[in-house]
Amino acid sequence: MNLFMSNNHPHHFANPHPHFLSRRDFLQRTGSGFGMLALTSLLAESGLLGSSAQAAAQAEAVNPLAPKPPHFPVKAKSVIWLFMNGGQSQVDTWDYKPALEKYDGKDLPGFDKNTGFFTEEVGALMKSPFAFKQHGKSGTWASELFPRTVGHVDDMAFIHSCFTATNNHSPALFQINTGMSRMGFPCLGAWVTYGLGTVNQNLPGFVAMYDTLGRGLPKGHASNWGAGFLPGVYQGTALNAQGAPINNLERPAEMNDAQQRAQLDLIAKLNKRQPGADDPELAARIESFELAYRMQMAAPEALDVAGEPEHIRKLYGTEDKQCAHFAKQCLMARKLVERGVRFVQIYSGGMENERSWDGHKDIEGNHRQFAGETDQPIAALLTDLKQRGLLDSTLVICCGEFGRLPLAQKGAKPGRDHNPHAFTTWLAGGGVKGGVHYGETDEVGHKAAVNKVSVNDLHATILALLGLDHEKLTYRFNGRNFRLTDVAGNAVREVMA
Amino acid sequence: MLRRFLPLLISASCLAAETPIPPDHAAQMAKGVELFNSDVGKLLADHCVKCHGGEKGVKGELDITTREALMKGGESGDAVVPGKSGESLLVKSIRHEDKDLKMPKKADKLADAAITKIAEWIDLGAPYGKPLVDGKGRDRSKVTDEDRKWWSFQPLSGAKPPEIRNPKSEIRNPIDAFIVAKLEEKGLAPNPAAEKRTLIRRAYFDLIGLPPTPEQTDRFLADAAPNAYEKVIDDLLASPHYGERWGRHWLDLARYAESHGYEQDYDRPNAWHYRDYVIRALNADQPFDEFVRWQIAGDELAPDNVEAWKATGFLAAGTHATQITANQAEKERYDELDDMAATIGTSMLGLTVGCARCHDHKYDPIPTRDYYRLISTFTKTVRSDYDVIVNAAQHRAEKEHWSETHAGPELQPEKVTALICSEGVPAVRNHTQGPDFYEQTFFLSRGDLNKKEGEAPPGFLQVLASAPEERWNVPPPAGARTPWRRASLAKWLTDKDAGAGHLLARVIVNRLWQHHFGRGLVATPSDFGAQGDRPTHPELLDWLAGELIRGGWKLKPLHKLMMTGAAYMQSAQSDSARRAADPANTLVWRHPRQRIEGEVIRDSILAVTGALDPKMFGPGTLDAAMKRRSIYFQIKRSQLPPMMITFDAPDTLGSMGLRSSTTVAPQALLLMNNAQVRTSVRAWAKTLASQPATDAVKRAYLTALGRPPSDDETATAAEFLRTQTESYKTAGKADAPELALTDFCQSLVSLNEFVYVE
Repeated sequence: MNLFMSNNHPHHFANPHPHFLSRRDFLQRTGSGFGMLALTSLLAESGLLGSSAQAAAQAEAVNPLAPKPPHFPVKAKSVIWLFMNGGQSQVDTWDYKPALEKYDGKDLPGFDKNTGFFTEEVGALMKSPFAFKQHGKSGTWASELFPRTVGHVDDMAFIHSCFTATNNHSPALFQINTGMSRMGFPCLGAWVTYGLGTVNQNLPGFVAMYDTLGRGLPKGHASNWGAGFLPGVYQGTALNAQGAPINNLERPAEMNDAQQRAQLDLIAKLNKRQPGADDPELAARIESFELAYRMQMAAPEALDVAGEPEHIRKLYGTEDKQCAHFAKQCLMARKLVERGVRFVQIYSGGMENERSWDGHKDIEGNHRQFAGETDQPIAALLTDLKQRGLLDSTLVICCGEFGRLPLAQKGAKPGRDHNPHAFTTWLAGGGVKGGVHYGETDEVGHKAAVNKVSVNDLHATILALLGLDHEKLTYRFNGRNFRLTDVAGNAVREVMA
Repeated sequence: MLRRFLPLLISASCLAAETPIPPDHAAQMAKGVELFNSDVGKLLADHCVKCHGGEKGVKGELDITTREALMKGGESGDAVVPGKSGESLLVKSIRHEDKDLKMPKKADKLADAAITKIAEWIDLGAPYGKPLVDGKGRDRSKVTDEDRKWWSFQPLSGAKPPEIRNPKSEIRNPIDAFIVAKLEEKGLAPNPAAEKRTLIRRAYFDLIGLPPTPEQTDRFLADAAPNAYEKVIDDLLASPHYGERWGRHWLDLARYAESHGYEQDYDRPNAWHYRDYVIRALNADQPFDEFVRWQIAGDELAPDNVEAWKATGFLAAGTHATQITANQAEKERYDELDDMAATIGTSMLGLTVGCARCHDHKYDPIPTRDYYRLISTFTKTVRSDYDVIVNAAQHRAEKEHWSETHAGPELQPEKVTALICSEGVPAVRNHTQGPDFYEQTFFLSRGDLNKKEGEAPPGFLQVLASAPEERWNVPPPAGARTPWRRASLAKWLTDKDAGAGHLLARVIVNRLWQHHFGRGLVATPSDFGAQGDRPTHPELLDWLAGELIRGGWKLKPLHKLMMTGAAYMQSAQSDSARRAADPANTLVWRHPRQRIEGEVIRDSILAVTGALDPKMFGPGTLDAAMKRRSIYFQIKRSQLPPMMITFDAPDTLGSMGLRSSTTVAPQALLLMNNAQVRTSVRAWAKTLASQPATDAVKRAYLTALGRPPSDDETATAAEFLRTQTESYKTAGKADAPELALTDFCQSLVSLNEFVYVE
């Protein structure tokens, strides 16, 4: 039995530094061999270690964020999840439905008026206000909303038959993030960080970014990147929209670096003189101050966009008024995965209605605005990842919490209401088969119809691309083994290279 | 889709039943069993059962783990017509005759020979040699005598402390006898008593969550009376801080927060009354059984007592969707009922009741029917911001008197608006397109609202009911405002003789033990079921539970009992031989070293730096700079206090019985750079700065760590202060000595010794 990771018992964190080149280097950096070495001998002494393989397993158990091997070998190492908050309309973006032109203005027979949110504003079928064209060798149909991103369609796999269970933002957000529409479960990013650990111990393993224009947080707030019942170390670190991006990262103003260093040396010295300092937990805590000191320098560097070369900033559009906020976040995401961060999630849009992709009113204006905020940064991210050789090892995901109805929502300018029955997710990079279209919606794009993909299936697919078997990735809490996919889920092999 | 064929198939099988049993029936079945054992069982196990009753659940509602289950069929209708393989859907599906139903799904078609064998087996009547999954084949919807034999469902054993002959170890009270007996079995000796300085610090953190002041420590060191330590325990148990410390443990279990969560995370401005009730109840040592009853049904059981109303905030504390669409409303309502029942289950009974929502509990004898009967208790129970009369009895008396002597308007009672849970009160209602509750609660098949199977009457868990239900069903008194369903549940929960009371007692004494000894006698404090850990000292657990009940369910004597035993008072020292024999210290041969929680770290920093504001009760605040104890932070689900979260405070979304205890860099960053931490130590340094450096260092050590510095530490500190002052001077700081002292003070509260208690 693994004494450290079982059943919600305390988890402890010693810090094997990934940049230590050798054991000697490690020892030099950690003084007289505190930390992992002390730990290993202690475990050996207490009969907990039988072999070096076990030693590795134990080290991993003591540091819950240490990198762990996947269940099976794969290409993808990191994830960037571009979240189109509020619900992107599939029929106006990636799920081309020529029949909508034919039926424009006609009622949809048998439509349940409780499908959307505004049950008294149900209109007739409405064609997309955007022109569609084919792109790439794959001949992928896409609307005019993404003039740059369409350049990458042959690297993208589209799942057109996604559906979810609820028609309201926060339960749907919880569902796509955690697999459950109720509050309180660990999100995908937390599960992945729990399953794989993270490579760079100087940076958070899982970073979430939300709207920096003051348009609010996604509904349900931090629970969307929460760890639920998993230990708190696996929750997403949300970058603050204003001020310092990470709390407590800046040393007190009156102190300089040398003074803080001297203070940390004092703490280490006093700590190491205490009896029991070789206790793995206490040794880990001593090391955590060194790690904190390194994080203090590593994090600002990783999040610094202004220091990037001009052609990179131009590529993303970090100075373009319309898309600068999202561009900076995409650029940060690239820098973070480049430095070994495991999981990054970026929300496009704030809360609901006109503050996000939630186009209840004026779907055309709404989607033009949010596509304008994201198209260039997303295209740049794919280009940049590819030119750095990172696209193979980075899984890029793009979707919202649900889709939108092919019907109009009545109003001065027609909108579209929530649609839990169909939305499109695209994947790119890390092990994804490019140019593939999986699943279909019905003739008008209202409901997933062929090869339907539930949220559980989608999660199983993402985990599989990361080398994790969704049935084996479990955590025991309050007497039960929990999974991200609960009791369901089938990975969609067709989108995997 | 195939459901419409169902009546036809049923009538077909009815006809079959009327067909006389063929003379060679027994021989046929024997042959069938043989075929099952040789081939078919393995084929079904390898290719089918995973999705049909096995680890992947019951796809298409077809469970083939047993013959009974197989014969029930699935959502496509009957799977097998015994004797007629050609008409059996199972065979059609594996032959791929129906293009919509090809089995096995997403795998290769079975070999022809395999298909032939399965068909032949069905022609022989489809008999099973044994169930296809271990442990299946029995009906989990019924609770058997065998189920009741599980240790935690058994009545308390009435175990007596074992007799220790020639004790080599100190036996201070009966607990020690239980502990020493087990240690002796393993040939292990416990540690000697900890030093007095260690002991007083341990007692202070355990009971009130604050370190002793140097004066409190000195007084204890100087007190040579044999009961000096007991006096400390008594004082601490009488301290109002006791309720603040132990109330926080209970609030973890109660998933307490002051906002709804979900969409907008609206505030619950009146929720803090529940937090205050918990603190007051613990400080008053309210009997634990009554504490439980009030949280379930205080408004029914003690309507004249405003505290009893506030106690129902327990039921109200869960999350609540604030934007509910019409077709989600009923599901949300079942989620809320689930939250109440599941929280009662884990926090009070140590049972994972919530698992029985979709299926009979896989491991514990909690049938789905019991689950729905349990949640039915709360069918019409809603959250309400309710004006509760503060002193109802007195008001009634005064009112009578008033009308005799006053003309004009009636005497108005004093009221307080608290978030409560009850029936027939105006519900807290946000943006919902549905009703606040539904008139009935139904049995749901697989938790599916589309599969209602009759109304579920309120009831109890059968496995914890050894008398007819009438024993607990309290008829509402004449003119009752509410249906008294909750009062009935509360009665059953706390009935030590025939209801759940004995388990309730075991679970709470184990929680006390867990917080005092770092690990419960049952290491899974919220799971006393088959998937939880077994108790390491079952006799001790039962004896303690018995002591609780015999003592009128009062918790404070239990604390004292636990803390005055040699087992608790021993030192934390450790050695490799005993570590090898018992690495997790399950036998209690040492006192564990425990990291104090985020609240305690923060409160202690405030206390030692002289900044702690001891004001109790009332509304909380989100202001990180507030100086009251951390339990008075407003717990807004979307903005949980950052420092608490960094140190593993629970997310308030579900009952939490055992916090994680992680050691991560953000905790170190917080102690290094956090503005509140820095402000506190700066103020502290200011007060220390007036004395010579050596005195300041000594005073700081005594205050923060409860001991004077060693000579070595004094020298190290002096050297640090000298060079750090130089450094600040070089940097042009006018207050260089004070800044250096600030850095030193900050170092002390960052030490392992500060955040770990031995």
